[in-house]
Parts: sequence; structure tokens; C-alpha cells
Amino acid sequence: MADVVLDKVVKKFGEAEVVAGIDLTVRDLEFCILVGPSGCGKTTTLRMIAGLEEVTSGDIRIAGQSVTWTPPRDRDIAMVFQSYALYPHMTVRKNLSFALELHKVARAEIDRRIAEVAQIIGLTPLLDRKPRQLSGGQRQRVAVGAALVRQAGVLLFDEPLSNLDAKLRVHMRTELKRLHQAVKSTMVYVTHDQIEAMTMGDRIVIMNGGRIVQVGTAMEVYDHPTSRFVAGFIGTPPMNFFEGEIGNGSLALQGGVQLPFLREGAKPGRKITFGIRPEHIYLRTRENTGRVPATIEVVEPLGHRTILTARCAAGVLQLEAEAMPGLKPGDAADLFFDLPRAHLFDQATECVL
Amino acid sequence: MRPVKGLPFSEREAPFGYALVLPALLYLTAFIAYPFAMSVYLSVSDAQAGAQKWNFVGTDNYSKVESYDLSGNDFVIASRLTPAEAQALVDTHKDGKVVTSVEGARFKASLEVGGRTVPVFASDTEDSAAYLATTLLNDLDWQVRAKGTEAEVVAHSGDSALALGNFTDRKLLDKARKGDVLIDAHLEVKSIGTGVWQDPNFILAVKNTLKYTFGTELVKLFFGIPCALLLYRKFRGRQLLRGLLVIPWVIPIAISGQAWLWILDSTYSVFNWLLVRGGFITPQNILNFRGDPHLAMASLVVVNVWRGFPFTTIIILAGLTSIPDEIIERSKLDGTNALQRFVYVMAPMVRPILMVSLLFSVVFSFTDFNTIWIITRGGPYDQTQMLATYAYQVGVNAGYLGKGAAISLFLFPIMALTVFGMLQSLRKENM
Repeated sequence: MADVVLDKVVKKFGEAEVVAGIDLTVRDLEFCILVGPSGCGKTTTLRMIAGLEEVTSGDIRIAGQSVTWTPPRDRDIAMVFQSYALYPHMTVRKNLSFALELHKVARAEIDRRIAEVAQIIGLTPLLDRKPRQLSGGQRQRVAVGAALVRQAGVLLFDEPLSNLDAKLRVHMRTELKRLHQAVKSTMVYVTHDQIEAMTMGDRIVIMNGGRIVQVGTAMEVYDHPTSRFVAGFIGTPPMNFFEGEIGNGSLALQGGVQLPFLREGAKPGRKITFGIRPEHIYLRTRENTGRVPATIEVVEPLGHRTILTARCAAGVLQLEAEAMPGLKPGDAADLFFDLPRAHLFDQATECVL
Repeated sequence: MRPVKGLPFSEREAPFGYALVLPALLYLTAFIAYPFAMSVYLSVSDAQAGAQKWNFVGTDNYSKVESYDLSGNDFVIASRLTPAEAQALVDTHKDGKVVTSVEGARFKASLEVGGRTVPVFASDTEDSAAYLATTLLNDLDWQVRAKGTEAEVVAHSGDSALALGNFTDRKLLDKARKGDVLIDAHLEVKSIGTGVWQDPNFILAVKNTLKYTFGTELVKLFFGIPCALLLYRKFRGRQLLRGLLVIPWVIPIAISGQAWLWILDSTYSVFNWLLVRGGFITPQNILNFRGDPHLAMASLVVVNVWRGFPFTTIIILAGLTSIPDEIIERSKLDGTNALQRFVYVMAPMVRPILMVSLLFSVVFSFTDFNTIWIITRGGPYDQTQMLATYAYQVGVNAGYLGKGAAISLFLFPIMALTVFGMLQSLRKENM
């Protein structure tokens, strides 16, 4: 059992409040992702869980025990750092065994665990090399191995994939997810990359400005963003936003674009932001769609899909079309917005309506 | 077709490169290569200051043995005695007498003491054999030495050994060693000659230089490592402190040396003042820092360390700062305490840079002339003479250019080996 509970945790650097009182429960054996833009406080939060950063106020509990003032070495935590933090003067084997030796684990047990971990993450042939003789991906694996071998209750990852090239990153994403199913640890994973966040975690914690703005599974936060920030942060290409106003049975967007309003309950005259994902804009009419004439500006084929950038009266938008839409820049096209799947946000509060 | 023409001279890179290197090359030739070659040349000549002609003398300046002095000490008169017997022998030895006998063409001198006859020396003349035996009997200090449960009686000759003769070559010496000394003793051979290797002051200078260099390095590390660790911590005023720290290093030694002269002055020393005020010594027996050989040496070490340890500290600090924060943090999560963190993580990572600092520091200390010349001038009576100062003393002050050059060249192989060894260990580190 190693659940992690943050209770009104605040971190201030001087006057600046970096983490503004967050409450979060990471369940035992969960793979929890902290995601958000730079400076949102996600790394600071992770470092406070690790004990590398002092908590200004609030309480952190691991497995029911308050560890707020416990030194890092007594927290039963292992961490994978962004720069891997391998000891350059030690061989891979020594890098893996160092923490265990400090904890006075028996030699035979150390050897057994190293063999096991090396097997899992494919380090066996590298055990007697020094870190500088390894490639970036191999170092990354050693860093993960050094954390796994501890068999700590909680594993922390601080943007561990951000120094890898794109292809390796995709590969390691899958690897780490597979590892999580194999090892019995609670994992807290920090990233700024929303694709990593979406693909890897059981639950995603989206942070902004030192606060948690939404917690949920990938599909929850994707389909039901509670705020304009989450809606814009999650998803590639990002959601399209237009300012507008609720009319009588219709929506008036900027630039004079009129859409039928299919939802009950909203007061006419309310200032809103209309958000729609690129894949919910079609080139042909369907049920419950609103037609918006536009001009195609950029065509970006991805192979299986094509990203189109178009300009309509309300502004520039992006949409995802099938592989060969038969359009080229300059073409006029009628776009159809899938209205039931669009999102409406209050302009003042940025909250979903 | 015309061959392809190269770039115009002014555009080509190689000549420009050579042009840039040229001043350095000239400098090296004029101030390093030429003096070095000149020293080698002088060291094999009998050059003297002011002399018109020099002669080639080979390695005579380095080593030229003219004769060997044989001396002995701790002559074992009798062994395997009970302590009482030994004491009795010592008490009654003054009643003993020297007898000489003829043995072939030679004379043998024996001691008759306490009822036993101990053959001691053989010689070509009766007088010399008897003379040594008499000295042994009457002038040396007879002592009982315990050897397990048994005891032996030994004639001990105070600080300086008993001179047993002077021999012009090795063969005569070896013969005398075997044939002339009939009694068990601690024999010493000293070569007498004009080469620097036969000069006791030179040997002393070598010993002093090694003591000074490695002594100061150890002390510098002893202070430098904790200082660096302290300055590595984050606290207010750390930048200021780091700046202040290097002051001893940047003040010219000619200036700070004057201050130290006052601090170490025999009459006005502030140390003595503190010691007297503190009640540790009386004004009558204040310490003579530059007059006592041991204190003089210690003073030199103190001045060198005072001047050099900021350098060591700064270098170690640079090494510590170059360790990525994440590695330190990982070691905390791994479960290290502060000491383990230093021993297992920081020290090994600082090691390469520490070796470089040691290398510099060793070279500076080993060739240090300024500190010694300002503080002690090699005194008192040459007891703190180092290779650099002694070479200057002999070569320039006394005018024996050849010998001075020979002394200074002794530095070279030792330095070369030290540097080579350290660089080698650095390279291994980076493999």
C-alpha cells in the first residue's frame, strides 16, 4: 500500500506562490500523470513529494504516514530524473546497486534484483559499462532500472522522456506503460507533453498556475474538459476557439457567423467562447451540423489523415479531414461544425457551460 | 589546362596560423628552451662566475667521489647475557684493558673485560689498532640493551659515529669492512667528494623540498576540502566570502612575505605575543620562528599553505559546483547521509579536477623559491634550504655556475615523473 495524499499543499519561493494549495490523492498502484505548461508547478509538486523541496504549508502523506518533514531517504521513494542523474563514475551495475547497498540489502538479494530488472528493461549486456559508454536511450533505461530495483512504494518520474529523440520517446512510452503493469509501485509522472499524458496514465492531473484544474482519465479530460484551459491544452491539433454570444436559438460567433443553438437552458445574450475540436469539423454535411463557408489556406497531409488550416469569417481554424480531401490552398469549402460535440465556455470564468 | 591555383597567400589559413603561433614559439625558445639547454650545458662544465674559460667535466658536478669515510656505532661487546651479567660487565668495563697481538702481517687489538677477550680491530700498524680499541673501551658509552629475556652490552658513540678510516676507493673500503672490523657493529659509509650528490646540504635540500611539497599539499587538502564544502552550501554572503578567500592567492608574495616576516619576527612576533598573553609561555622562552630549524620549516609550510590553500579550495569548489544538482538529489533519494554523499558521490566526481589542482600546486611548491628566500633564505644554517634556493645559493651567490645548474636540473626528472604520473592517472579516469 503506497497511496500519496497531498493535503492543501502550498509552495512559495519568496513572494511567488508556485503551488497554490493543491489537494490530490494518488491511489495505490496508480499511474498518475501531472501535466501542464511550464511553470504550472507540476515539477515542484513532484519534488515536494520526493522531499527535495520543502513544503511551505500543507501536508503530504505516503501510505497514511505524514512525510512532510521526513528526509528524502526515509520516504520509500525512487525517482527518475530528466537528466537521468546516473553516477558517472560507477558502472551500470553499481548505479543499480548503490541505493540497495546503502539500505544494507543482502548481496544475494541485490544480485537477484539487478538480474531481474536488467532482464525486464534489457540492460543485461550493459551492466559492466560506465554511463558515458551508453547512448541516450540506454542511459534512460538505466535510470529507470535504478529506480525500479529499489522496489520503492512510490516511483516518481520527472519528464524522463524529454531528452530522447521522437522515435525513442514513442517506444519508451509504451515500455513504461508495460513496466507499470509489471511492477508493484504507485507511479507519479510529470510531463509537459499532453500526448504522453494522454497515452500513459491511468489518471491525468492537469495543472495550471499552481492549481489543479482537472483530474480524470484521458477520455474524460478529452471529451469533457471543465475549462477552456483544459480544452485548449489537451488535444493535437488544439481545439478551435471563437468568441461569441448566445442568441435566441442560435449562436452568433465573431465575424457574423451564425450557428443553430441546440442546447437548452442558456440565457440569450451571454458572452461565450465556442470551442470545437478539429476532428469535429467536417467537409460534408451530417446530422446536427452548422455550415460555415471558408477558404483553405494550408494543407498538411499526415498519411492517414490530413490537417487543413482554413479561414472563415470567424477566424482561422484547423480541421482533420480524411487522407485525400482533394483540396488545395485557395479553394473555397463549406465546413460543417458538429454542434452536439462542440464546447461552450463562459467568457468571464472560462468554465464550461 | 592550367593547374588549379591555390588561394592567395593572404587568404590561406595555415600561414596565418603559423604567424599567430610564432610569438609564443619565440617566447618558448628564448625563455624556456634556451635556459634549459644552457643549464644542461653548464651542469657538465666547471663554469664559475667571472671565469673566462670553461672546461667539460662530464658528470663531475652531479657526482664525483674522492674517498669514502667508514664509521661505526653500537659495537656489540657481548651478547646472550643475563641482564645481571650485562650490567656487571658495563659496571666493570673501565677495569678492562687493550691487548694487541700479531696475526700474520697484521696487528689485532682485543679488549679484555670482565674475564672475556673480545677481538675488536685489525690494522697494519699496532698503534692504530690499539688506538681504536682504547677509544672503544674508554670513550664510548657502554650500555645494556635488552633483547627479549637476554641482554647485550653495546658501546654507543653518541651522536656522531666513531671514525674508522678513510679509503680512496671502494675495494679498500670493502676489504676494511671485512678484515679490519672484527666486532659486530653498525657501520656507515659516507662518500666524500665534490659532486652535489656528495654534498650533505644538497641531500638536505632534496629532503626539505619533498617534505615541503608533500607536507604543504596534504595540509592544503586538509583545509581546502572542508572549506570548499562550506562554500558550496547556499548562504548569504557566499559570493563575498568566495572573493575574500582568494586574497592570499592574489597578493604578490613579495608583499605578503613582508607581513609574514613581521608575524614571524624573533622579537615582535604576534604569535609570541599571543602565546605570552595567553600564559602558554614566559617572555624568556619565546619561540624563535626563523631561528629554530624545525620552527623555520613549519613557518615555511604555514606561509605556503596560507598562500596556496585558496587555490585548492577554489578548484575543489569549481569541481563541486560542476556536479549536476540532480545527481546530488538522486543520492539523497538513494539514501545517503552527508558523509556517504561526499565519499561515494561527490569526491569521486571531483577527483579528476582535484588531480589537476594537485598537479599545479605540486609544481608550484616544488619549484618555490620566493617564499623560502623571503622568509628564511634557507636558514638557519641551511636547514630549510630547498633545491631552488640552494641552486641559487651555489650557482649565483657562490658563483659555481656548473654546480648550481646541476642542482637545479635535479628538479627536472622528479617533476617530469610526478607530472607524468598524475596525467596518466587522469587519463585513466577519462577512459
